[in-house]
Amino acid sequence: MAIRRLLPGVFALCLGALLARGLALSLGVNNLLLAIALGVVATNVVGMPARLEPGIGTHKLWLGAGIVLMGASISVETVLEVGGRVFLVVIAVATLTLIVVELLARNVFGLAERLGSLLAAGASICGVSAVVAVAGAVSAREEQVAYAAATVLLFDAITIAVYPIVGDLLALPSTVFGIWAGVSMFSTGPVVAVGFAHSEVAGQWATMTKLSRNALIGVVVLAYASYYARAGDGDTPSVRTLWAEFPKFVVGFLALAAVSSLGVFSTAQQASLEHAYNWLFLLAFVGLGTEIQLGELRQTGVMPAFVVLLSLLIASSLSLLILLVLF
Amino acid sequence: MSIDGWRPTAETVTGRWSALERDWKSVIVGGAIVALVSALELQIPW
Repeated sequence: MAIRRLLPGVFALCLGALLARGLALSLGVNNLLLAIALGVVATNVVGMPARLEPGIGTHKLWLGAGIVLMGASISVETVLEVGGRVFLVVIAVATLTLIVVELLARNVFGLAERLGSLLAAGASICGVSAVVAVAGAVSAREEQVAYAAATVLLFDAITIAVYPIVGDLLALPSTVFGIWAGVSMFSTGPVVAVGFAHSEVAGQWATMTKLSRNALIGVVVLAYASYYARAGDGDTPSVRTLWAEFPKFVVGFLALAAVSSLGVFSTAQQASLEHAYNWLFLLAFVGLGTEIQLGELRQTGVMPAFVVLLSLLIASSLSLLILLVLF
Repeated sequence: MSIDGWRPTAETVTGRWSALERDWKSVIVGGAIVALVSALELQIPW
């Protein structure tokens, strides 16, 4: 039975989460970053037994469930107050990143057109998920998908380490740090981890900002599919693509935020839901750590990595400046 | 009902679960936790 296949890996994730929590409490370090570190060590130093892989692969499911539960802790009033400005920043930075990567990839570094598009989608929207979604729409070759995905994962690993340091050095306020991580880092998992490692408020803003950025994936896939279909070598796009690519856990997150704002949960229930999503994030981040395979990252091409690094530096510094002015 | 009697139901449930998109699975897991916490006043420690 399929569930039996998942049990060993899920048990390993639970064990890793308990260990991360225990060590974090005794060492006084952040439990989410420690969970990622445990995953990295487990896969790169100890090695991952094949029978754990199916269960460990469920880590994105737990991340999504944690994000849904986070809806119960969101202050809808605050979101309505500053949400419009944040969404404008999200659209501006995503568009800027996409254009910068496309221009650098095609005109400066001479990368293949499709590889440039995959990197642009991964950097501007939601990391590897965007790479895979756009790859299907533009009929990219397998090695281009692997190359782009490895580049995005390389920067996920780098930003997990660098963003908290920059946040501390510049003493960024929680709201600014959270939105900055959400608007400029690549994949959802690292954004949530880095946000909550800074503070609860930063974590909530990082997640909400990243969710609104992820919601743009349908539009980007549709745009790329239209572009390559016109060139005569891609799949014909349809409006259904918008819904097919939409991250559905956002629906759960919004529904729970709406229910919670009606005041249906007691303080004790809200605390329990908050604890539940903290545990789910720990499970997810142990699994996320196992995806950072240093051997594979070393195989990333220099040119694609350089293109993404330049666009990250531009988008990251520009968005930070805008956020410091706005908030 | 014997265990054999439950088997088709269990197989239908696991079949439907497997066919679901991962994001919807996340929504169901989240919803199940909310239901447990609300209905049973479940206290989750941290």
